[in-house]
Amino acid sequence: MIERIIIENYRKFRRLEIEPNSGMNILVGDNETGKSTVLEAINLALTGRINGRWAGDEKNPFWFHQPAVAEFFEKFGTKHQVGPPAIQIELYFTADTDDPDMHRLRGVINSRSEAGTKTDCPGVRLRIQPSDDFKSEFAEYMKDGPAGILPTEYYECLWTNFDGHSLSRRPKALGSAFIDSKTLRSSTGIDYHTRQILDAFLDDKERVKVAIEHRKSRHSLTLGVLADVSKKMGDDGVDLHDDALSLAMDQSSRAAWESDVVPQVSDIPFGMSGQGQQAAVKVALAMHRSSERARYVLIEEPETHQSHTSLKRLLVRIDALAGSEQQVFVSTHSSYVLNRLGLDSLLLLGSSGAVQLTDLTPDTVKYFQHLSGYDTLRLVLGRRLVLVEGPSDEMVFKRCFKDETGADTDDAGIDVVSMSGITFKRALELCALLDREVVALQDNDGSDVADIVGDPELAKHLSETRHMYVGDKSHGHTLEPQLIDANGVDRMREVLKLRTQDDPTTWMPNHKTEAALRILASDETIHFPDYIVQAVHILNE
Amino acid sequence: MNELTIAVAGARKTQGIVEACRDADDQRRILVIAYTQASQAELESRIADVLPLSPQVEVLGWYAFLLRHFVSPYLPLLFPGHSLRGFNYEGEPHRAARDVDAARFLDPEERAYQCNLASLAHKVHEASDGSVLDRLEHIYTDIYIDEAQDIGGWALEILKVLFASKLDVHLVGDMRQALLSTNPRDNKNSPYRFEKVLTWYREREAQGQLKITQKATTHRSSQVIADLSDRLFDPSLKYAATISASTETHFHHGLYRVSPQNVAAYVEAHAPLSIHYRAGLGDEFGITFTTFGVAKGRTVDHVLLLPTEKFRQFLKDGTPLVGKTACAFYIGVTRAKHSVAVILDPSLVADEFTPWKAPTDPA
Repeated sequence: MIERIIIENYRKFRRLEIEPNSGMNILVGDNETGKSTVLEAINLALTGRINGRWAGDEKNPFWFHQPAVAEFFEKFGTKHQVGPPAIQIELYFTADTDDPDMHRLRGVINSRSEAGTKTDCPGVRLRIQPSDDFKSEFAEYMKDGPAGILPTEYYECLWTNFDGHSLSRRPKALGSAFIDSKTLRSSTGIDYHTRQILDAFLDDKERVKVAIEHRKSRHSLTLGVLADVSKKMGDDGVDLHDDALSLAMDQSSRAAWESDVVPQVSDIPFGMSGQGQQAAVKVALAMHRSSERARYVLIEEPETHQSHTSLKRLLVRIDALAGSEQQVFVSTHSSYVLNRLGLDSLLLLGSSGAVQLTDLTPDTVKYFQHLSGYDTLRLVLGRRLVLVEGPSDEMVFKRCFKDETGADTDDAGIDVVSMSGITFKRALELCALLDREVVALQDNDGSDVADIVGDPELAKHLSETRHMYVGDKSHGHTLEPQLIDANGVDRMREVLKLRTQDDPTTWMPNHKTEAALRILASDETIHFPDYIVQAVHILNE
Repeated sequence: MNELTIAVAGARKTQGIVEACRDADDQRRILVIAYTQASQAELESRIADVLPLSPQVEVLGWYAFLLRHFVSPYLPLLFPGHSLRGFNYEGEPHRAARDVDAARFLDPEERAYQCNLASLAHKVHEASDGSVLDRLEHIYTDIYIDEAQDIGGWALEILKVLFASKLDVHLVGDMRQALLSTNPRDNKNSPYRFEKVLTWYREREAQGQLKITQKATTHRSSQVIADLSDRLFDPSLKYAATISASTETHFHHGLYRVSPQNVAAYVEAHAPLSIHYRAGLGDEFGITFTTFGVAKGRTVDHVLLLPTEKFRQFLKDGTPLVGKTACAFYIGVTRAKHSVAVILDPSLVADEFTPWKAPTDPA
């Protein structure tokens, strides 16, 4: 089990340190926060490969964290100069294991120990750093090289265990499967990652059996039909000087079974099946009970190309098998995936690192699992949030905000989110753990404000940055009576452009959304209930 | 349980290790440590013969063992900022480098000096606060060490560490063949040099860390030769009497003395393996000698020995040999299956040796 991941100077990350959960991990973040990069980095450290090719052969200047590169070039030659950036990815595994193959990877040759915290555990470390052999070339390059591009040909890729030994292939104990969101569009073959998944699915005996039978069948082709053809060539005198020419099946390693055996879905080859199917097949293979070799499963955006029902089946499978045998990392954009797989498995990536929700109550985790359609990611990803009861409250709040501040909520970086049935208590618990800035607006529904806000289960989530405003019940129990109370019946009728015989007091509760839309679009001056105005002011402070 | 098997020359020591590997139950994870490169290659191929492709047994040389499992994983705990980059077999650190200096153990390119490797390994073990052993205990259940007699100096301290671990350590060796433990710069445990390492093992046995058994059957030498080899050592060392299980016969067998003028004829007649104590001795005979060190491990029909002063004394009155001389002549004598001859002036006494007569030239 991976206990700690440290990524340095790789793509998005100057430095990222994550202590993942033992079973399921769901990587969530805004676009461009590096969800896929984390999966890619884990896979790189586990396999030494990127897209199936050795990292050492593929070194790319754009793998490096660009601000670090820029800093190096900017300061080079000045008295504040810094060393050339080096990429480092480290995976620390639990030392609490009986697996002798894991202990072979164990030692203190890792960055934590180097920084003075003795960390004696199994692990792998991948570094891409300037090679000592090319110091002078690098120095020459810096004299007149194209500034801003690192000369990666003068870099070396070191892939080692924590016992200091170099790795040349993936250690036995680190079986992994990477299910990327790319799909294969080809009538033949499968890609590297799928091949790896397939390979991990077979046990040693099965693998040998398939290899032998495959060789035999190729050989029997050579001895059978091809022998006849070869004979014909000889008879026709198609000889090369004095040597006989014949045909035979390729038996080199290129012709190994791995390149001839492909998964089929309902008799359709893998490469020809639907995009959603391909992902499902990969998950099914990687997360099968017998896939014990794939202890680490990386899944990129499982929602891609999936219908709602097939996604649901896929998630059930992923969820059932993550645990003692397999550690799973899933990146996603989907609230549905997040809710289903459990909010407590969330790893929220931000510019400053990863936030985890390990303190979330099991109760709340279950709650969101049941309400899996809820757009939880808006709560998770929003910077400054306004939580309101429903869509009409949302529109009214936006109008009030514009009137009071002259700006749109969107432009002010404020996300107004409808609760749509989620209780304020659950939403605030989540926001509190994520330390989000929140203003919640709730109806009093006939209760005293003090009773609602004073409820200890709710109050414990409120703070200097998390406020709740509730309209006083003397001004009405819900939003609509509160609006009428603030504006008066006649004024409200004008704003809503109702006929004189219509009574806003009865019309509004029956046409909540329509009323809110009309308020939002109205040219009239509107008075808003105090609690909404207060909410706007606290946000605007 | 840790054990030392003292096996006489020709007792098929290596075969014992190979068989133990073959018969181990499949929960055991075995490391076999060889002390020399030649024995490592032999162990690897013989184990591969009985356990083809088995991941259960691993063979490592002694230095590789210390580098991989002691020094490399935990070196920074002893010398922060240092990392192991290789092995320096030939080099020696600067004399001024002290025990606390990394320079005493690592060359400027971070390669560990062979001469101080065991000492370094022990220091790393201490600095690791138990991590070295805990790691080893998770990887292996048993360690077999061949040629245990060649372990000396700081390497004995490493053995102590292994004895105290959960690992079962199985040593096989013959203290009577202790020729190699000659690291002139390693003064640790110097009272236990060469064949005296037996005392060290006996002390460990007395402390309950080890059980010593003797394997006294030779499959190589005749009983006459075996008896001679037994008499070389002081009886107080309590080596079990060697028993010959050899069933081979040869027309030329037994113990012979060859007078200097007959040496060439003897070599001509019986083609013995001729052994001298060190290079240069016996040049006047015009035959090819090898040294005891080189002869070690070989099996021949006949051996011709060039005695030293101490060995002549032994031949005369049976005064047991000690130290390197004892080991050297023990190795020399036990190479032979059928006959042992000594080059000896007719004026000297050697009662048990039959004077060899050159076959009379029929012409």
